[in-house]
Amino acid sequence: MTTGLARYDFAERAIHWLSALSFLYAAFTGLAMWSHKLYWLAGVFGGGNATRFAHPWAGLIFALVLGFMFRRWAGQMRLDREDRVWLRKSHQYAMNQDEGMPEAGRFNAGQKMLFWLQSVAAVALLATGVVLWFPEWMPRFLRLVAISLHPLAAVLAIALIILHIYMGTAVIPGAFRAMIHGRVTSGWVKAHHPKWFRLTLR
Amino acid sequence: MTQTVVKLIDTTLCIGCKACEVACQEWNDQEFTLGTFGGTYQTMPDLAPNFWNLIKFNERETDGGLSWLMSKYQCMHCGDPGCLRACPAPGAIVQAKNGIVDFVSDHCIGCGYCITGCPFDVPRLLPESKKVYKCTLCSDRVAVGLEPACIKSCPTNCLTFGERTEMLRVAETRAGVLKQDGHAQAGVYNPVGVGGTNVLYVLKDASDPAAYGLPADPTIPLSVRLWKGPVKWLGTMLFAGGVLGSFFHYLKFGPKEEEAPEE
Repeated sequence: MTTGLARYDFAERAIHWLSALSFLYAAFTGLAMWSHKLYWLAGVFGGGNATRFAHPWAGLIFALVLGFMFRRWAGQMRLDREDRVWLRKSHQYAMNQDEGMPEAGRFNAGQKMLFWLQSVAAVALLATGVVLWFPEWMPRFLRLVAISLHPLAAVLAIALIILHIYMGTAVIPGAFRAMIHGRVTSGWVKAHHPKWFRLTLR
Repeated sequence: MTQTVVKLIDTTLCIGCKACEVACQEWNDQEFTLGTFGGTYQTMPDLAPNFWNLIKFNERETDGGLSWLMSKYQCMHCGDPGCLRACPAPGAIVQAKNGIVDFVSDHCIGCGYCITGCPFDVPRLLPESKKVYKCTLCSDRVAVGLEPACIKSCPTNCLTFGERTEMLRVAETRAGVLKQDGHAQAGVYNPVGVGGTNVLYVLKDASDPAAYGLPADPTIPLSVRLWKGPVKWLGTMLFAGGVLGSFFHYLKFGPKEEEAPEE
């Protein structure tokens, strides 16, 4: 199938799905250890010891993949003046009143914010996660900082991902397909990323 | 009714014989691992995964001399245990009705959060087994009506064992006697910040617990309380709000449809 326009190349899709799977693995095993009420999740992932063993590795893979994602996308994620207007009007976007919104480029301002907030959360999660991974080698002060900062960063990351999954699968028809097959229709691009359509695709 | 049990340590009666250390190793069937010699009379510089009870020879300089402030370093069996609060694995740390805080290795996942949650720095992780260990207050002995091994072995009655209110009374009485003997600062160590401890100390100088290696005002770490409190509420709100909010947003606004296709 080569109809439509190329939205994401293979590398971008691979990076996205590696980060998604490692994130979900880390998130679910992390939630198991976050609250006793969710500890049943540990059973899903092979028990408490398997959960404690695999969670840091999943997190490390996520951080590595996110490093590649950062190198790939950071340049395209800079917020310009129009993006700031977009963010101020984001409540209109949320109510599907898209007529007054500034035209989005390859990524709209919401996607850019997701990228930066996830990057910040990932750095915090990695730094505190390493501390919690090897408690026997870490000074008490660092462990105390990490034990509350790690779940806080995770809460923000997971909340953002809930929003991201909802938008990518339900709000924008075609977005999920784009991340699987890489291609979108020209109508889709004109509707959701008109500036990108004007500047690069024509 | 189950009684709360207490180990009372009258530090003024400790002669540093270390019988309690030996009894602890024997009863709990621990091998002794050679440690480092720190230039003191102490057996070990610190607790270890297979060494749960350490007599500390705290040295304090006096006028022209040296005084030993003896203390016994082990799990304090807190009324509100920081280890238990921090533990993510249900059943890995249990607080029995008699006040004993016990680690259940079968359920321990080796995350080490209890080490961070403990204000007394007691639990020790054994890397080989990925489990954490500490004093059990000989819960297996207490369950069948015996006193803990350390108490059984103490030759001076420095260590005694009994019901909590009774032991508190004994401790206060002893502190009163010490005061009459000229130790104006004598008192009982039973820190309220961790809900009281079921290991009580009589100290000759209760104004300076740090000299005995005991924290002056131990509490459950703020960061553990933040995680188990506000961070958890925030997370529950955001996760539930995110899922429910998405659902109702979709019902109200639906998807963003493209303009009619041009082709």
